[in-house]
Amino acid sequence: MSSREPMALIRSIIRNRVNGLTVVGSAHGIDIDLLCGANAVSASQESYVGFEQDFGMAHNYRRGCESGEIEIQDNCCYTLVQQLRASIQGLPFMPIQSVRGTDFEKNHPSYKTIQSPYSGEDILVVPPLTPDVAIIHAQYADLHGNLRIEGPPVVDLLFAQASRTVLATVEKIVTNEELKRLGGANIPYFYVSYIAEAPMGAHPTACYPFYAYDREHTELYMSAAKEGSTAFKKKYLKDFVYECESHEEYLHRIGGEDTRVRLSSWKESTDAWMELYKEST
Amino acid sequence: MGKNCTLGELLIDQLARTVEDDTLVFHGFGSPLVQIALHVAKRVYTPNLVLVAGATYGVNPDPPFIAPTTNDWVHDRNSECHLSIGELFDLSASGRLGRMFLSGLQIDRWGNTNVTQLGRKTLKLKLPGGGGACNLSCNAKNITLWTAAHRSEPVKGKRRYRIVSQCDYVTGFGHKNADGITRRQLGYLGNGPQCLVTDLGVFDFDQDGHLRLNVLYPHTTVDDVLENTEFEPRMKKEVKTVSLPSLEVLSIIRKLDPLRIHEKELSPGDRSLTLEEPKNAAIC
Repeated sequence: MSSREPMALIRSIIRNRVNGLTVVGSAHGIDIDLLCGANAVSASQESYVGFEQDFGMAHNYRRGCESGEIEIQDNCCYTLVQQLRASIQGLPFMPIQSVRGTDFEKNHPSYKTIQSPYSGEDILVVPPLTPDVAIIHAQYADLHGNLRIEGPPVVDLLFAQASRTVLATVEKIVTNEELKRLGGANIPYFYVSYIAEAPMGAHPTACYPFYAYDREHTELYMSAAKEGSTAFKKKYLKDFVYECESHEEYLHRIGGEDTRVRLSSWKESTDAWMELYKEST
Repeated sequence: MGKNCTLGELLIDQLARTVEDDTLVFHGFGSPLVQIALHVAKRVYTPNLVLVAGATYGVNPDPPFIAPTTNDWVHDRNSECHLSIGELFDLSASGRLGRMFLSGLQIDRWGNTNVTQLGRKTLKLKLPGGGGACNLSCNAKNITLWTAAHRSEPVKGKRRYRIVSQCDYVTGFGHKNADGITRRQLGYLGNGPQCLVTDLGVFDFDQDGHLRLNVLYPHTTVDDVLENTEFEPRMKKEVKTVSLPSLEVLSIIRKLDPLRIHEKELSPGDRSLTLEEPKNAAIC
């Protein structure tokens, strides 16, 4: 949601005119909404796409779903976890102790109810999920491709283990010695296909300890998205994606060093941290 | 005594009072009322609560303030330890999550919730989705439902009810679905929704698993509830009025949420309400 989303990678995907994507994840926000606003998504298996109580509905995502451009295949967090586990463990399916009786069962013909060979009770099973590509933004990598995520990894570790290709951007590439000093890798290099250094590569979401969530930029994004898909392209995508030929150009357009300093001020004090999240009235 | 509070503070206190001690509880994302309620519960009512924070999965955190988005590092500051996403859901699947809090853009008479879509056959509005609500609704031992948008003002003469007769889509399972299938028939470990805290009052569920009005607030009436609910809820024999939160609870809320993030769940009109202690208040 507002933390460690691979935004630089997503902007690059859009600039390269990739489309027809099926996106899958747990709870997301601006990352998926941006892809939807660029008409890059044709099916969504996310469990949540929104901006919580902060800004509410994800307008590009909602419009895409309602127009029929995006096929809705909503997933749930644990169903996703079990599907990834099935893939990671090389199993043909994984049982799950929930879902039956809800409308997810009706909307997912691939979920089947079988009888437990032990108790005879009905149990739902879900198929393995092996994504073609996982995209991840982490704080650190070493030159070998070992990744270190600081703070909650959420589903990133499972995605790295289950996916065919793993693309990662990081705030900083360091030596293996330094990575160990920082606490060590939590995604081993052999899962990781490609790495690139992209400082502030999660902006406008947070990547602590480097920078906090850019609420101000997100507000600007939301006001463009709210106006409609054409306005969004003109007022946001053009300036912050299509016309930015590089990540450096993007960083320049969001305010360069001043913005980096503003967003890293969270560590100075609780008041400084809170200051970043005050409503602009 | 001259004690008064806001509606948001009253809702937080009511949510906090639904928690039992010595249980493991979790709050989802996008739910600052519940998030703050769990901190109040841990500090005032149920000190042995195992509090797992949504999105960060921090255990017993002590955040310096509440931030506008849930997976901010603010919220897992001073956590004792962390769970992984799989671990939290495993705990629920095996019946070890004591209570979960769920909400919906629609909540129906049997406690089903919908955060997926409005429109039954044709899609009218795509909602953000339920996260793990579907999974947790089945197996969390107990469930507290809540919404701060029970009051539904008519728009162009039409009311879009929050508390509905039947959800357009069942994201979270209540006591039974539209096909009449009950959670007992499905073999779920959880007891299902036990209460619903709204901006108009607090409800429980009767023997049949049907929504029933339990208590009102100092500023709400039975008529408010009837007018803003799509069906006629059942009523407790005697519907009392709740008492306001204690000064201790109020001071915890005000210190923890100086940015008043929890008020974003409330309608703009409700944010400015000041409530005063009623006479003959009931402790619920």
